[in-house]
Amino acid sequence: MKIIRFFLTKCSGDRYIAMSYFFQIVISGVVVGSIYALAALGLVLVYKSSRVANFAHGQIIAAGAFITYALTVWASIPVYISFVLSMLITFCLAWSVERIFLRRLIGEPIISVIMVTIGLASILDGLIYLTPFGTENFSFPSFFPQEPIMVGGVSISWTQLVGVIITFILIGGFSWFFKKSTVGISMRAVSDDQFASMSVGISVPGVFGLAWATAGLSAAAAGCIIGNITGLNFDTLHSFGIVVFPVVILGGLDSILGAVVAGIIMGLIQQFAGGYIDGNWGLNGTGEVLPYIILLIILLIKPHGLFGIHEIERV
Amino acid sequence: MASNRWLATGNFFTTYQEEQRTFTTRLDQLIFSIFLLTLFIWPLLFELSRTYMLVVDNILIAVVAVLGLNLVTGFAGLISIGHAAFVGVGAYTVASCSRMIGDSHIIITHLWPVMIIAGGLAGAVMGAIVGLPALRLKHLYLAIATLSFQMIFEWTINFMAFFNQGQTIFVGRVMWLTGEVGRSDHYVFWYYVILIVIVMCGFGVRNLFKTRYGRALVAVRDNDRAADAMGMHPGLTKVYAFALSGFLAGVAGALHAYLYRGAGIESFTLHHSISYLAMAIVGGLGTLNGSFWGPAAIQFLDLQVENVAELAGHYMPSNMNLATALRPLTFGLVIVLFLMFEPRGIANWWRIVKSYTKTWPFRY
Repeated sequence: MKIIRFFLTKCSGDRYIAMSYFFQIVISGVVVGSIYALAALGLVLVYKSSRVANFAHGQIIAAGAFITYALTVWASIPVYISFVLSMLITFCLAWSVERIFLRRLIGEPIISVIMVTIGLASILDGLIYLTPFGTENFSFPSFFPQEPIMVGGVSISWTQLVGVIITFILIGGFSWFFKKSTVGISMRAVSDDQFASMSVGISVPGVFGLAWATAGLSAAAAGCIIGNITGLNFDTLHSFGIVVFPVVILGGLDSILGAVVAGIIMGLIQQFAGGYIDGNWGLNGTGEVLPYIILLIILLIKPHGLFGIHEIERV
Repeated sequence: MASNRWLATGNFFTTYQEEQRTFTTRLDQLIFSIFLLTLFIWPLLFELSRTYMLVVDNILIAVVAVLGLNLVTGFAGLISIGHAAFVGVGAYTVASCSRMIGDSHIIITHLWPVMIIAGGLAGAVMGAIVGLPALRLKHLYLAIATLSFQMIFEWTINFMAFFNQGQTIFVGRVMWLTGEVGRSDHYVFWYYVILIVIVMCGFGVRNLFKTRYGRALVAVRDNDRAADAMGMHPGLTKVYAFALSGFLAGVAGALHAYLYRGAGIESFTLHHSISYLAMAIVGGLGTLNGSFWGPAAIQFLDLQVENVAELAGHYMPSNMNLATALRPLTFGLVIVLFLMFEPRGIANWWRIVKSYTKTWPFRY
């Protein structure tokens, strides 16, 4: 904030407007990016332990957001409690998804496991379309002061600020969980070598289930924050499940740090494209397509991403 | 030729030639010819309503597309979540030509077989470009690459003024020997065209797997290191699989553009990619006749879902569209259940029935 103010005091007139526009874009890029990071976290968790890319992640994010809304507004539970409750519910939901569908497929070729997650995404789509959330738009009641915080000409709303803070607390918590706790260490062990970890008494299927459940938990948190910032629209919410793929590929599929850095890079790229490219040269909506173009380029030149392990099998 | 395949206890080939035949017995050949003849003759005997003729045409176009998807996903073992985009490339090749030179230009109306092949070639080029990461990467990464191609394709069509922002671009009526194909014969005419295309593609794919190029695909799927040791280039083989699949998809797309007399983005979205994948899985990945059963089964299911939704719609609040909910639900269930309980698809049921009749009255 100080840096922004410092820069803004140096400028005046048109330069001032241009600079504050620039910083506005930086701020919104960081906000969007940290949400991407949180959404990508769940994907990384599942991939790290079981080597499966979860194509149904966006639907779980959406489900988390809708459950929070239903608990807060329809059951009128205080928002903080319903936030935690929805995380618990998606925890159980994701765990049971793993237990019912994916547990049977352990040992099957990876191609059929990936396709099962595509099928799951389709099933969850259908289930959500059965509820009112599928077709109508809702928005959370506002919990925070309406007027944004102004620093110079740059504004950030309370919802966004709180969302970013919660995101970073959660990401810190997950990193701690992976680095220090026994369960986290056993998850890392399974991702490293399944047979070796089995031989020291770790239940590999149990760890898979737990990884899915934790991913569901983080997805619910991401869903709540996104829902608070952008409103509850199913299309927007489940598109997050697809846009996290460029993020995790850029960051490296099995790195939490990579997810955070790449999330923020992707957010900044999207917002800068929206702010500076759109409307010029007859281009529109470039923010939506740039992540995928970057994804294709990264796959060609540096497929393990920024922080991923260099263990990709060459063919 | 061997004796009756229904009663024989095994395949007793004595020469390679015998093994490589398209039809193992004369009876097979006869049954197939009669089947093909029926397909060609029945529209002359029955008058099907235009709605149902369109459904039949849709199934046939899906057969061409799924044949391509089966090449890349079934035979070469690479997941493609962007198949609808490759179909779209073919459709938009025709559509953008008609946008540039006018929708009833002589090239569009008279040289339509050339346009269909051009659509296929455009699809093949795009397939090869998207398949480029396959030079270095495997499974999951390729799935994500094709997914991103789907997103890029949708964006390009939706935001470019040249593609009419995803609105329908019209394609004119085509000419045949008897003159312009009018509204009443439109669907029947394209039924025959697509049927001929399918027969050509089907035999093409069937024969491809007798050559080294087709067998290389299967070899790379089963074990790419062994294939490498045998002197194949696994990366190039995968790129070539993508190009081949893109070609068939492009042909399907061009046919789609002509059948619907236009192309719009709503037929080439991610949902369609997933339903193509569902068709390939239900039919049976890595089997040729699976590519015919899958589309038929899924389109039939789709019709039934629509009927059920319409029936149940009377008892539901009017603001809810049940079909939009039931369609993804059934597709997802079908994909998941088939993968869990019958990963070899409907094509496997045929094998089960055959082995049952062979061993009857014994169990094995």
